Amino acid sequence: MTEEKKTPILRIRSLTKQYDNSQRVILPRIDLDVYPEDFLCILGPSGCGKSTLIRCIAGFEDYEGTIESNGRIVKKPGTDRIMVFQDFNQLFPWKTVVNNITYALKASGMADKKARIAKAEKYLKKVNLFDYKDYYPHQLSGGMKQRVAIARGMALGSSIILMDEPFAALDAMTRNRMQSELLHIKEKESMTVVFITHNIQEAISLGNRIMVMSRNGEVKEHLYNTLEKPVTPATPGYGALWKHLNDLLTEERADDK
Amino acid sequence: MKKNIRLIAQILFVIAFLILWQILYSLQIWPPLLFPSPGMIAEAFVKAFTSKGLGPMILHSLRLLLIGLLLGVSVALLLSALSAINEVFAAIYNMIVSMFDLIPGIALIPVAILWLGIGDGAIIFMVFHSVVWPMSRSIINGFNSVPNIYLEVGQNIGLNRIRLILGVFIPAALPHIFSGLKVGWARAWRGLISAEMVFGGGTALGIGYYITDRRTNLDVAGIFATIIAIILIGLVVEYGIFMVIEKNTFSKWGMTR
Ligand SMILES: Nc1ncnc2c1ncn2[C@@H]1O[C@H](COP(=O)(O)OP(=O)(O)O)[C@@H](O)[C@H]1O
Ligand SMILES: [Mg+2]
Repeated sequence: MTEEKKTPILRIRSLTKQYDNSQRVILPRIDLDVYPEDFLCILGPSGCGKSTLIRCIAGFEDYEGTIESNGRIVKKPGTDRIMVFQDFNQLFPWKTVVNNITYALKASGMADKKARIAKAEKYLKKVNLFDYKDYYPHQLSGGMKQRVAIARGMALGSSIILMDEPFAALDAMTRNRMQSELLHIKEKESMTVVFITHNIQEAISLGNRIMVMSRNGEVKEHLYNTLEKPVTPATPGYGALWKHLNDLLTEERADDK
Repeated sequence: MKKNIRLIAQILFVIAFLILWQILYSLQIWPPLLFPSPGMIAEAFVKAFTSKGLGPMILHSLRLLLIGLLLGVSVALLLSALSAINEVFAAIYNMIVSMFDLIPGIALIPVAILWLGIGDGAIIFMVFHSVVWPMSRSIINGFNSVPNIYLEVGQNIGLNRIRLILGVFIPAALPHIFSGLKVGWARAWRGLISAEMVFGGGTALGIGYYITDRRTNLDVAGIFATIIAIILIGLVVEYGIFMVIEKNTFSKWGMTR
């Protein structure tokens, strides 16, 4: 890999993870660097350890090895690494949309109430949900909830946004719209994203880097996605990249007995 | 539409019940002194408030109830919160709750009298006992069933332990807490009246005392009138207070199970 010499925002060395209640080593000595402005998509078969990896980065799990975020060892969750889950229930149902964000800002130490509201509204505009700011989460669609969660992460000014299949539970059309909206935001904001998916099209459309994990939790392949955004199936090179990734994933499945 | 039919059916039933009562009265099977007519009960009801001072008696009982309820809820919240933080404490507190919840309030009256004397203190003690254990049970249940994702989001946005309890555990467990409150209130209300009746005149205040007083005066209509007052108060609390709170909190948030 010939990345220019920037300092990684996220530096992972020999990350090993085994759950207390099981013999299986989920992640065997993973190394990974993520640089500012990266959009890293992680692809892998179901159960290979993608969520485990991102949860370790988020600070939700104990692990062996090192994970450094902005040069500091990750020991617990923090606002420098905000997680967007697949589960639509990641907003607090007892708070309105805007208050879900202002509450997070307050928790992270922003003292000025007016400034909190202004910031929350600014980011709600970015995800086109300003008109819904006084709604309660249960009044929103799944896609809208995910956009609020993304807005919350951005408003917190997290240096890395961690997304664990945030669009996987959405219908295809909404999912496509969310993808282009996310790309659009990414172009305008300086943000670093680690994005888990098991959808090849999604990885190609979003990522500038794509990492494929093998069934046993190793990094199988790590490549740069140089296709020009926005990527469509008609983009030159799309077919070849899709096939390459699909072959890698099929191998993993074929290895299954 | 459905709701209307139910309401009409209920009203018709009450009317039929009153008519039947009136017929039984007219047949003069029992002496009117022991079996008063609905009209006599209504009259006694009015008289209880206008000339016999039931109003202040009720207020006195409700005041003690409120004090005991607030004490019980606060202590239950505090101790349940502690058990959410500390596992050793949780183990001990769980045991205490299961044991003490088994003691009928009335069985504690002798102790209450010996410790606190006949009077308000003993009544408040009874109410407290009726509330604190079912409340604790519900709160602990509620805390245990808070979805993990809320806790992870809470940690992610930087909430510490105490703010996690106040800002996530309590609102997320509100439906449980509320059902505990309903159980607690119903028990407390009954416990309070029984206690006042047992004290019988020692304090000369409260609904329970009033009923006992009617009995000594052989005023059966007055007894029924008081019972109706007790039912009405229960209805006001159920529909006027609990339902309103429910509508404006977790029902509004889409959290009703
Ligand atoms: N809390 C846990 N305890 C024990 N095993 C777990 C736990 N969470 C996940 N696993 C196991 O770890 C493996 C990887 O899971 P996961 O990281 O969720 O995979 P993916 O997100 O790639 O589908 C699976 O075999 C799963 O059963
Ligand atoms: Mg997963």
